[in-house]
Amino acid sequence: MDVTADAEGGFDLSRVIDIGKSIYSLVILLVLWEVVGQLGLIHYYFLPPLSAIVARFVELTLNGEMLYNAYLTLYRALIGLAIASVLGVIVGVLSARNDLVDWFFDPIIKIGYPVPIISLIPVFMLWFGIGDLSKIIMVAVGTFWPVAVNARDSTRQVQTNLIWSAQMMGTGDRRLLWRVIMPAALPGILTGFQIAMPLSLIITFVFEMVAGGGGLGALEIQGVRSFESEQVYAAIIAIMFIGIGLDRLLRFTRNRLLHWT
Amino acid sequence: MRHATSRRIEGLPAPVQGVAQTLVDWIPLGILVVLWEIASGTVVAEAVLPPPTTVSSRIANLVVTGEVFSHLFISLFRIGVGLGLSILIGVLLGIGMARSDPVENFFDIFLSMTYPIPKTALVPLAILWLGVGTEAAILIVFLACLLPIVLNAYNAAVDVDQNLVWSAQMMGTSDREMLYKVIFPATIPEIMTGIRQAVPIAFIALVSAELIASNQGIGYLILTSGQIGNYPTMFANIVIISAVAFVAVRGFEETRDRVLVWT
Repeated sequence: MDVTADAEGGFDLSRVIDIGKSIYSLVILLVLWEVVGQLGLIHYYFLPPLSAIVARFVELTLNGEMLYNAYLTLYRALIGLAIASVLGVIVGVLSARNDLVDWFFDPIIKIGYPVPIISLIPVFMLWFGIGDLSKIIMVAVGTFWPVAVNARDSTRQVQTNLIWSAQMMGTGDRRLLWRVIMPAALPGILTGFQIAMPLSLIITFVFEMVAGGGGLGALEIQGVRSFESEQVYAAIIAIMFIGIGLDRLLRFTRNRLLHWT
Repeated sequence: MRHATSRRIEGLPAPVQGVAQTLVDWIPLGILVVLWEIASGTVVAEAVLPPPTTVSSRIANLVVTGEVFSHLFISLFRIGVGLGLSILIGVLLGIGMARSDPVENFFDIFLSMTYPIPKTALVPLAILWLGVGTEAAILIVFLACLLPIVLNAYNAAVDVDQNLVWSAQMMGTSDREMLYKVIFPATIPEIMTGIRQAVPIAFIALVSAELIASNQGIGYLILTSGQIGNYPTMFANIVIISAVAFVAVRGFEETRDRVLVWT
């Protein structure tokens, strides 16, 4: 921080200028958006004025529709992610610690991870229908791979010196796992979650767009089909807030859990 | 670091040992395929889970008759153009933002605002603007791949060894030459890392766009064959696009390792 500006009475001009420099382009774009929309330079259907979109966003939020659909999307994505996190960490850590488990899962992960998971949506519709269950299982299957791979690789990289030292001091297997291996592998495991989180949202949105059943993805597609483009933009604003919120939450959790690193 | 030493086979002549090792490594997958073959038609209906033999003969059929290629080429074209554009613009943007404050001030806010949006959520917007078809798919692939490439190029261009820049300046290198001859070559390894991250994303974006906003391409073929109940074709196309994605990633890695010999 600029100390001289601070001494002049609390008003930090250079800070204001810095903020101005970093957001001016956004302000210009938003103003242009509104002006272009109001003047009708671009057809309303393609780009409604910003004010119309914000009005629709507020309307959908106040009548509860936005919140309900956001709840549906988050419920599906986060339950699926939670299942994948538990299973992925178990399989990953066991693979790194046990040769037999590794032998079994290694080829499965090699084949399973690169599958473009979205292409399996029609399969899950066939197997489990188009309801919540189907979407949750799909998210769990899709996010399992990055969680498992990151858990396995980071557990493998725990220094053997740490493990030997602990064993030499008489640490039992269970304590070794919880007090030595898991904390040392935690940064990598959290990286896996950070990769899996956006993936869980991607799978949920696309599934909702293809199969319906409510949720923000369905809200968007509904907007396209009924030629109400404000609704599409309003849903994307909600998605942006959710994305930013979850991203912040994961970063915050990471900093709290890893304050010792 | 420990490595996967599970079930290591020893004490055989070298060529035999290699083959035996591969076999042992892939036994688990073989078990799964055999279980799938047995389960299909007994535990679950054959229609819901066609056996691997049916799926593989359908793949052979699709390839021999050439039926799959028209759709596959369209999908690959969309990936090629979308990814190509994202590399071109991503590298320019990444290096530009790293080396020039005005450029960074202008674009940074857009990147940090769009960063947390899953790009596949923009498929309906692509339909609004471009209609159903190739352009919408290219736009989604482009947007999805752009950020990993920008981020990697940016970080690399910021971290270029300052000694290199000073040495070049001392020898009278102009600003423009500096970009082409010093900074760009120094960022190539990280740009490659960015592309490596972008390739699997491109396939996810492609299939998403084709499921929702297309009437051609492998994703469209998967969805429609599911809808009309032609499940062997649905599974066959999933295997085909997965194999293509796998080959694309491995192919890129191989090429990169050959080209980047100096790193």
